[in-house]
Amino acid sequence: MAATDIKGSAEMIILALLEERPRHGYELAKLIETQSESRLQFHVASLYPMLYRLERKKLVEGRWVEKAGERRRRFYRLTPQGRRTLADHRRSWREFVKALNRLTGFSHA
Amino acid sequence: MPDWMQFVRGQLPPLHVGIERENEIVAELALQAEQAYQEAISAGATESEAMRRAQAQFQDWKKLGRDINRAVRGSWFTGSLHDVRYAFRYLKSNPGFAAVAVLTLAFAIGGNTAIFTMVDALALRSLPYREPDRLMAIETRKTEQPELEPWTSALDFFDAREQTHSFGSMAAISPIWSVALTGRGPAERLESLFVSAEFFPMLGVKPAAGRLFMQAEDKRAQPSSVVVISHSLWQRRFDNSPDVIGQALTLDNSVYTVIGVTPPEFRYLGAPLAGTASQIDAWFPLSSNQLTGSIRGLRFLKVIGRLRPGMTPAQAADEIRRFGAALAQRYPESNLGFSWSAMPLNQQVTGRLRLTMLLLLGAVGFVLLMACANVANLLLARAVARQREVAVRIALGGGAARLLRQLLTEGLVLAALGGAAGLPLAYYVLKLLIAGGPESLLRNRHIQLDARALLFSAAIVLATAILSGLPPAWRIVRHGIDQSLREAGRGFTAGHHRVRAALVTGQVSLALVLLVGSGLLIRSFQRLLDVNPGFNPHNLVTISTQMPAAARTPEQRTSVYRTMRERLLEVPDVESVAAVSRLPLLGRSLGSWIFVEGKSIPGAPLADVEYRVATPSYFSTMRIPLLAGRLYDEHDDANATGILLVNESLARKFWPGENPIGKRVKLGANLERQPWITVIGLVGDIRHVGLDTDPRPEIYRPYAVNPLGAPALVIRTRGDPAPLVNALSQAVRSVSADVPTYDVFLMDQLVDRTTRERRFVMLMLSAYALSALFLAGVGIYGTVSQAVLQRTREIGLRMALGASAGTVLQMVFGQGLRLVSLGIGCGALAALALTWLMRSLLFEIRPLDPIAFVAAALTLALFALLACYVPARRATRVDPLVALRHDG
Repeated sequence: MAATDIKGSAEMIILALLEERPRHGYELAKLIETQSESRLQFHVASLYPMLYRLERKKLVEGRWVEKAGERRRRFYRLTPQGRRTLADHRRSWREFVKALNRLTGFSHA
Repeated sequence: MPDWMQFVRGQLPPLHVGIERENEIVAELALQAEQAYQEAISAGATESEAMRRAQAQFQDWKKLGRDINRAVRGSWFTGSLHDVRYAFRYLKSNPGFAAVAVLTLAFAIGGNTAIFTMVDALALRSLPYREPDRLMAIETRKTEQPELEPWTSALDFFDAREQTHSFGSMAAISPIWSVALTGRGPAERLESLFVSAEFFPMLGVKPAAGRLFMQAEDKRAQPSSVVVISHSLWQRRFDNSPDVIGQALTLDNSVYTVIGVTPPEFRYLGAPLAGTASQIDAWFPLSSNQLTGSIRGLRFLKVIGRLRPGMTPAQAADEIRRFGAALAQRYPESNLGFSWSAMPLNQQVTGRLRLTMLLLLGAVGFVLLMACANVANLLLARAVARQREVAVRIALGGGAARLLRQLLTEGLVLAALGGAAGLPLAYYVLKLLIAGGPESLLRNRHIQLDARALLFSAAIVLATAILSGLPPAWRIVRHGIDQSLREAGRGFTAGHHRVRAALVTGQVSLALVLLVGSGLLIRSFQRLLDVNPGFNPHNLVTISTQMPAAARTPEQRTSVYRTMRERLLEVPDVESVAAVSRLPLLGRSLGSWIFVEGKSIPGAPLADVEYRVATPSYFSTMRIPLLAGRLYDEHDDANATGILLVNESLARKFWPGENPIGKRVKLGANLERQPWITVIGLVGDIRHVGLDTDPRPEIYRPYAVNPLGAPALVIRTRGDPAPLVNALSQAVRSVSADVPTYDVFLMDQLVDRTTRERRFVMLMLSAYALSALFLAGVGIYGTVSQAVLQRTREIGLRMALGASAGTVLQMVFGQGLRLVSLGIGCGALAALALTWLMRSLLFEIRPLDPIAFVAAALTLALFALLACYVPARRATRVDPLVALRHDG
């Protein structure tokens, strides 16, 4: 897979994780680590630059939030544009997977 | 537990993002590290193991910094864009600050652009002709009276054209001639010029239709009846039809064939049009001007030349000077006392204006500097508000450069906004200037905002950004790291205050210079308006004319004049009519050598006096008073050669304290052959050259004795003469078909013309001085209120300890006035050094006029008091309890 696709998939993972609710950076890193059973390990070295890039592209929005009894943290949430981009990503992945299945014969249909 | 913020700052390379953004990123990464550390501790790791894990999160700090930079900024461009956006956000959240700064700059930038556009069009741009740098103006001046307008006689011009070698071609131009276009719808008065055939080719003018003059049409003494018309006349009367070529036009009752049309943009900018608003609609070949056949002493032409390839202006000027000296030797009767000079034509066109224009440009530049100082002050105040953050950032290193960049970006954004608001302002200011300025100065030129003006404003926007961003930035860089940490509290503010105080002192100095300059001009103008011209210019019309070719003898000419006078007196409302050889305020003069019995030494160089020939009614028509003796009258006819009148200046010069009546003089260079002439009357002085030029010794002889070929008529009317002008010209021309009328003016206009430019410059400079005063006031107000704010605690303490409101007032006013008096001192020194530059613009006022200096200083001091008043009142209302809790 080409580098852009990897980057694209990493972006998609973050967008997907933010779809449900806003999260802060540390939580995102933890989620990626646990949900992918540590196979996809995101280093801080790539997570934060990625978040900042998504922020610059206005796909996510970061905001400092102070909750009662908790530390002040920066929460990221999906913007409408981010939501649209995630949908686009999903569609093309689905098509890609469908094509892949058809070619390899593992189709369920 | 370690300080994670400091830990991250210590490791992360500098980020190229805004200050706030960097703070956020550092905080977020610190949180990440802290979380990892806590997690490791709760999992039972030792502190050093937890620390190692927290650090391992980040791996390569350099790469992380690079990645973040790339992610946040995108390219360099988006990075700068970020700075700009950040600056905009800041301004949006501080609308008061933004409005004051932007309006101040808009005012200054708009003013600068408008004035630059005007100055550029009037004084800086090269002339719109082919190879303008090779064009020279050639002038004949009266050596002893360089203030008189230079004119050259036709015979002298012909000699110069044939006998000098520096010029590839030489052309002569007549004074403005007013001709009547008749026979095609309503009659119209056209301004026209007679030019020699070389004129158009020399300037590189190509006709819009038809052709221009050929040499054959401009042969001496062989007038040809052809005319070139202006594009505007072509449009106005002939609908741009090409059929106009070959048509016959009746001009002043003579028929001329139209041979060509000048291009639409063509305007001659040199003398005699320099500084006038005249639109020339008809151009005739020089040969068809009646005056070209006249004597060498009748100087009425302007001469220009194009340098021969390889010749320098200096070489040409040198040759012209020598040529003039040779002429004076060959024709002493007419040319002694005259010298020739040549200068670049551009200098003739703009020379008079250059100083004025530079003065205005300097003044408006001062105002821009003051506006920059105000904005720098505002930026400084804002830096004070962020002083703690600034101190920390500088202490942690790498922050100063970016802080500088951001301050400059803020300056740039402010300046750009100011420029954007300033351009429309410039447009309207320029419109106002052109509409309200002297016609002669502005309306004949092509003045409009163009690419050059835009480029200029862009340059001043950039300069403004640097000038207003630099003082705060300089302050921060100079301050250094240690000190800023140590002074993170109040000290830093004190340092800022020193910079602000310096800025305000500078503003006050600049304002004082401008106030002194405008004060000097105002005082000069007052003096000028107080000048009595020596005659009453109201309800007077002047018409220059020319005797018909058939009238050669004095008797014939006198008889023609009598007819003119009768015809003029027939026009309703005409009270009296007179004729004179040279009219005041028209810039023309004629002198004579004088030998005074009992005073002049035979063989010694003779004195030179103004020579006028006037009809007896001249003095009553002009209202020039008779002071002693008698006037000559209608009975003093052509035989009255032995009498003359003198003016006060002459009597004072030759017979101080004596009665001049009965004294005898001789006129002319050749004394033996001249008869004695007796003074019969003493008349008042008149300002012949202009209100600002002292009267010179002057003599008057009866017109009948020496009826000149080209008299100037003076007509006094009972009411407003403006509606009569056409009828009066008509009456003069009705005498004979070849009698022209030109230089038709209301005398009031002529007087007004001599003061108009001064008035304009005075008003402009005063407007700028007032703006400077206002800007200085804003600066003083800002600085003093800031100081009061910072000393609230101290003031409160003092009041708690029993200080009265008076003491507090004294303290605040004292501080304000210390700044102002220092500024006034520096400004006075600068003004002492600068006002002598404008001495040629002053009239009867010395550049060091104490009244102007004292008035300027007092005005400024009063205004400063006013600016201190509000913060001072605020200081007296400080509540000691509140103030002591105040931690600023």
